[in-house]
Amino acid sequence: MVSAFEFVPAIAVLPLVSFVVALAFGKWMPKKGALAGIFATVGSLLISIWTALTVAGFLGSETVYHAELWRFATGIGTFNLHLGVFVDPLSSLMLLIVSLISVLVFIFSLGYMNDEDETGLPRYYASLSLFSFSMLAFVFADNILMAFMFFELVGLCSFLLIGFWFREDAPPSAAKKAFLVTRFGDFFFLIGVVGIFATFGTGLFATEAGFPHMAEQAITGEMPGPVGEFLSAVGMGAQQWFTILGLLVLGGVVGKSAQFPLHTWLPDAMEGPTPVSALIHAATMVAAGVYLVARMYGFYLLTPTTLAIIALIGGFTALFAATMGVVKQELKQVLAYSTISQYGYMMLALGSGGYVAAVFHLTTHAVFKALLFLGAGSVIIAMHHNENMWDMGGLKEKMPVTYWTFLSGSLALAGIVPFAGFWSKDEVLYEALIHGLGSPVLLVAWAMGLLAVFLTGFYTFRMVFLTFHGEPRSDTAEDPESVRWNVKLPLGVLGVLAATIGFINMVPVAKLTGLKIDFLHKWLVGGEVLNAEFLTGLEHYEPILKEVAGIKASYIAGGEIPTLLISAALSLGLALAGVGLAYRLYAVPEPVAHTKKLGGLRTLLMHNYYQDEYQVWLAQGVTLPLARAADTFDQGIIDGVVNGISSVSLFSGDRVRRIQTGVVSNYAALLTIGLALLLIVFGIVGGWF
Amino acid sequence: MIPLQTSNTLPDWAALAPAIILAVTALALFLIDSIDPNDESPSMLAGVATLGSVLAMVVTGWYLVAGTGMPRTGGAIELFSGQLVVDGMSLFFTFIFTSVTALVCVASYDYLSGRPNQAEYYALVLLAATGMSVMASANSLATAFVALELSSLPSYGLVAYLKNDRGSVEAGLKYFLIGAVSSAVLAYGISLVYASAGVLELAAIAEALGAGIDNTGVLGVGILMVAGGFAFKTASVPFHFWAPEAYEGAPAPVSGFLSSASKAAGFVLAFRVFVTAFPLDVVAGTIDWALAFTVLALVTMTLGNFAAATQDKVKRMLAYSSIGHAGYALIGIAVLTGTADQSYALGASMLHLFVYGFMNTGAFLFVALVEYWGVGRTFEDYNGLAKQAPVACFAMTIFLFSLAGLPIGGGALSKWALLSATASAATLSAYLLAAALIVNSALSLFYYSRVVKAMWIEDPAGDFEVSSYPTGLYAAVVGAAIVTFLLLPAFGVVSGTAFDAAAALF
Repeated sequence: MVSAFEFVPAIAVLPLVSFVVALAFGKWMPKKGALAGIFATVGSLLISIWTALTVAGFLGSETVYHAELWRFATGIGTFNLHLGVFVDPLSSLMLLIVSLISVLVFIFSLGYMNDEDETGLPRYYASLSLFSFSMLAFVFADNILMAFMFFELVGLCSFLLIGFWFREDAPPSAAKKAFLVTRFGDFFFLIGVVGIFATFGTGLFATEAGFPHMAEQAITGEMPGPVGEFLSAVGMGAQQWFTILGLLVLGGVVGKSAQFPLHTWLPDAMEGPTPVSALIHAATMVAAGVYLVARMYGFYLLTPTTLAIIALIGGFTALFAATMGVVKQELKQVLAYSTISQYGYMMLALGSGGYVAAVFHLTTHAVFKALLFLGAGSVIIAMHHNENMWDMGGLKEKMPVTYWTFLSGSLALAGIVPFAGFWSKDEVLYEALIHGLGSPVLLVAWAMGLLAVFLTGFYTFRMVFLTFHGEPRSDTAEDPESVRWNVKLPLGVLGVLAATIGFINMVPVAKLTGLKIDFLHKWLVGGEVLNAEFLTGLEHYEPILKEVAGIKASYIAGGEIPTLLISAALSLGLALAGVGLAYRLYAVPEPVAHTKKLGGLRTLLMHNYYQDEYQVWLAQGVTLPLARAADTFDQGIIDGVVNGISSVSLFSGDRVRRIQTGVVSNYAALLTIGLALLLIVFGIVGGWF
Repeated sequence: MIPLQTSNTLPDWAALAPAIILAVTALALFLIDSIDPNDESPSMLAGVATLGSVLAMVVTGWYLVAGTGMPRTGGAIELFSGQLVVDGMSLFFTFIFTSVTALVCVASYDYLSGRPNQAEYYALVLLAATGMSVMASANSLATAFVALELSSLPSYGLVAYLKNDRGSVEAGLKYFLIGAVSSAVLAYGISLVYASAGVLELAAIAEALGAGIDNTGVLGVGILMVAGGFAFKTASVPFHFWAPEAYEGAPAPVSGFLSSASKAAGFVLAFRVFVTAFPLDVVAGTIDWALAFTVLALVTMTLGNFAAATQDKVKRMLAYSSIGHAGYALIGIAVLTGTADQSYALGASMLHLFVYGFMNTGAFLFVALVEYWGVGRTFEDYNGLAKQAPVACFAMTIFLFSLAGLPIGGGALSKWALLSATASAATLSAYLLAAALIVNSALSLFYYSRVVKAMWIEDPAGDFEVSSYPTGLYAAVVGAAIVTFLLLPAFGVVSGTAFDAAAALF
C-alpha cells in the first residue's frame, strides 16, 4: 500500500496549482477561480486527514516522515540548503487545521465575495490559494531556511490580500503597514537563520543532525566540533549565544504573531476582506509565529531566559490587547484585539513550558476564531458592510444560524465550560501557574493572563449583546440581507467544532476520573521513533524542560488535583464574572456606551496606548532622517563612484578604440612591440640574458 | 554504445573519423562543383556541407559517450607514432567545431542565396573545420603548425568571400597579413623550442626539458613566441588586431565561425601544448608561463570589453566582446599554478568555450539575419526589431544575456566555474583575475543590454518591413538559442565530460 507520506508535498502543491489556474484562467471560470481553490484545498484536507491517520499509527508502523525534496546547493565542507518535508504529530495536526480552515474560507468566500459581485475575483482566489500553499509548505518545512522562505511568502500573501481593495484609501495603507511591521521582525529572524546556519552548519529542525539536538549536546553533553569552534570564535558561552539566536528568531515570531510591541499591524489588517481575516487570524499568518516556536521548541527549551521573555511577552500581550478590545466599536476590531490577546496566551504557554497547552490553544483558537470571523462576515453581509456594533442589535431573530454559531464561538473564546476555549485556556493557565510557583517571572506572566480572562469574557459578550441582542438600532439592522448556504455551511461546521473540539484534551476530567482521555497530550508525546530518533516528541522535551530550562512544577493546596481545581475555578469564575458584567451593562433593549466611566483611561484605550503614534514617530522622526542621510551618501558617494567608473570606462574604451587605426602596418608594429615587451620583461625576470 | 578500444570493432585510425568525414565532405563539395560548376541552386551544396558536419558531430558525440580515447577505455589513442592523439579533450573540442560548423552551414544557405562561388565557400568552411579538429588532436609541434595553417588559410579566403565588398576584401587582406606575421612568430618559436629540446613531439619535449637545458634564454623566447602564435588564433592581446576588422568585414556566419570555432581551436592547442610539453614544474627555471597568461588574460578581457563598450555597430561590438571572452577563457590556463585544482580550472575554460560556441555563434547568426534583411548595422538600426521578429529577438536576448553571464543560458554557469577555479587557486594573481572577470562581466552587461533595449524597448526609427523569414537562418538561430538555454539545466552533463577530459591531460 502506498504511504500517505509520499503525498505530503501535494498538500501544498495542490493550492499552488490552483493559484496558477485561478490567476491564468480564473476570468473564464464559472466561479472566477473559487472552484479551483475549493477542489485544491479539499484535496489538501483529504491528504492531511490521511497523513494524520498515518501519523496516528492506524495505517502502518511508520509514523514519522522526513525526506529531502530538492537541494538548492551543497557547499564544500559546509551546510546544504534544501527543501524538505518533516511530518510529525505537530506538523500533521497543523496541516489538518490549516487545510480545514482553508476549505471553509474558500466556501465562505463564495458568499462573501461572489454573491456580493466583487470585482477582481481571480486575483482574490489566486492570492488565497497562494496563501494556503505558503502556510502549508511552512508547516511541513524540515529546516529553518525553508521555514523562513515560506514565512516570507505568507507575509507577501497577507500584503496582497489585506490590500485587496487597493482602490480605496485604507486597505493599501493597512497592507503596507502589515508588511513593514512584520518585515521589521523578520529582519531579526533572517539574522537568526544566518546565525543558526553559521553556528550549527544546519537548519534541520529534527533528528540528531538537527540544530536543536546539536545545541542540546553543546549544553548538556559533548560539544559538537563545529559549534565549539564557532562559539570560541564568537567568544561566548553556549547558553548565552543560543539565547541571542533564540531572541533573533523570536523577532520574526513577535512580528507575525502580533505580539507586543509589533502587534500594531493586526487591527489595521481588518481592512482586508473578512474571509481573509479569518484565514490570517485563525490558521495562517498569525499562527505561523507561534507554530515556529513550537516547531523548534527543543531549541528554546535550552535557553531559560528566552523562555521567560516569551512568557512575559505572552502574558503581557494577552492582558494589554484585551484592555483595548473592551472599548472598540467595530465588530472586527474587537475580534482583532481578541486575536492578539489569544496568541498571547499561546506564547505564555510556550514560555512557561506548556507545550501541549500551547498547541491545544492553537488548535481550539483556530476553530473558534475562524468561526467568529466568518460569523462577523455573515453579519457584515447582512449589515451591508457596516461594521459598527452600535448600528446593529436584534440580529438574533433575523439570522439564527449566524447567532447560534457565533454564540458557540463566543462561549469558546470567553472560556466557558464546556466549550473549546475553556479547556485549552484553562490548561494554559494551569501550566503557567504550576511552573510559575517556582519562578516569579512566570508567576507575573500568569497573573496577567488570568486577569485577561475576565476582560475576555467581558468584551466577547459585550460584542455578542450589542450585535445580536436588544432592539435594532438602524434601518439595516431592521431588515438585514439574508445569507446563503455557502455562508451557513462553514459556520455550522465550525460552530459544532467550537463546542466540541475541546474534548480532545480534557485534562481536568482526565485527572479527576483517571480516564485516559487526554488525546492531544498522547498525540504530542508521540511514538518511540519520534522521541528517540527525531527528537521532537514530548517525552524528549520534558527532561530538558526540567534539567536545562530549570522549570519544574510545584503545587499549592497539597497536590496536583487541588491545584488543578483551583486554577479551573479561578479562570471559569473570572470568565463568568466578565460575561456577567457584560450582561448587566449591555444585555438590555437599549444599551448605551459605558466607556465614559473609564475617564482618562478611555482616551488611552481608544488610542491603543498611543502605540501607533510612537511607531510612526520612530519611522518619521528617526528612521526617515537616517534614510535621508543614507540616501545622500548613496547618491553622492556610491553613485558618484559608479558614475565615475562608467565615464572612466567609456573614456578609456574610446582610447582603446583609437589604437585600432585601420592601418595594417600599425597593427604589425604594435604586435611586434607587444611581443618584444613580453620577451624583455620575462627575459629579465627569468634571467635569460 | 560499444567503447571502441575494448571491443576492437573499429581500427585505431577510426578515432580520427570526425576529421576524416569533414575532409571527405570538403572534397565531395569540390567534386560536385566540378561536375556542375554553374549550380545556382545551393540546396545541394548546403545540404552536403550540413550533412557532413552533422555526421562528424554525431560521430564525435558517440565517441564522447562511448569513451573513446578516455581512461575508462584504455586511455588516449596515439596515431602516426604519436603525431596525433585522440582523447577526451580532442573529442570535446571537435564537438564544438562540428556543431558550430553545422550551425554555420545551415545559416549560410539563406545568407548566401544568389551569390556566386558557393561550393568554394562550403568547402573552405569544412576544410577549416578539418584543420581545427586536427589541431585538437595535434600531439607534436609540427602537426600543430600544419593543422593551424590548415585552419587559417581557408579562413583568410572565407573572410574575403564577398569579393565585391570593400570591407570584406580589406579585412581578408589584413587578416592574412597579421596571420602571416603570427605564423612566422610561431614557426620561429617552434624552431627555438626544437633547438632546446631536440624533439617536436609534445610528451618528448617535456621529457627532454626535464633532463636539463643548456640555454634557458633560447627556450624561454621559444615558449613565449609559441604562446604568441596561439594568441593569434585565440585573438588575444597583442595578437588581436586582426579580429575586429576581420569579424566586421567578413560575412556574418563566417564571423561566428571564426570567433567561436577558430578561437576554441587556438585554445585547445594552447592547452595541450603548454600542459603536455611545457609543464610548469619542468620549465619553472625558465619562464612562468602561467604568469604570462595571467597578464594576457587580464589585458585581453579588459581591452576587449572596454573597446566593446564604445562601439556603435553591433557586429563590431560582438567582435570586441569576443576578444573579451578570449580573456575569460585564458583564465583556465592562467591559474594552473599553486593550489589550483588544475583539471577543474582547465575544464572550466573548456566549458566556457563550449557554451560560448553556441551563444556567440548564435549572436553572429542573428547579425547575419539582420544583414540578410538589410536593416543596418548600428544599435539604432536594431530599434524596435522585436515587433517584427519576436522569436529571433528573443533568441538574441538569450545569447546576449548568456554572454553577459546572466542565468538565462549556460554562460552564467561557465563563468561561475571560471570564478570558482580562481577561488580554488587562491593566489593573488588568481584573485586579480576573478576581480577582472567580475568587473568586465558587469561592464559587458551594459553594452549587451544596449542591444536588448534597442530591440525590445525603443521605437523603430525608420520604417522597414521584414520581408521574409528565412528558414535556414531561423533554424540555426533558434537551435543555438535552445542549446544555450538547455546548457543551464544540463550543465552538469557537459561539465562531467569536460572535467574528465581535462583531468586526463595531467
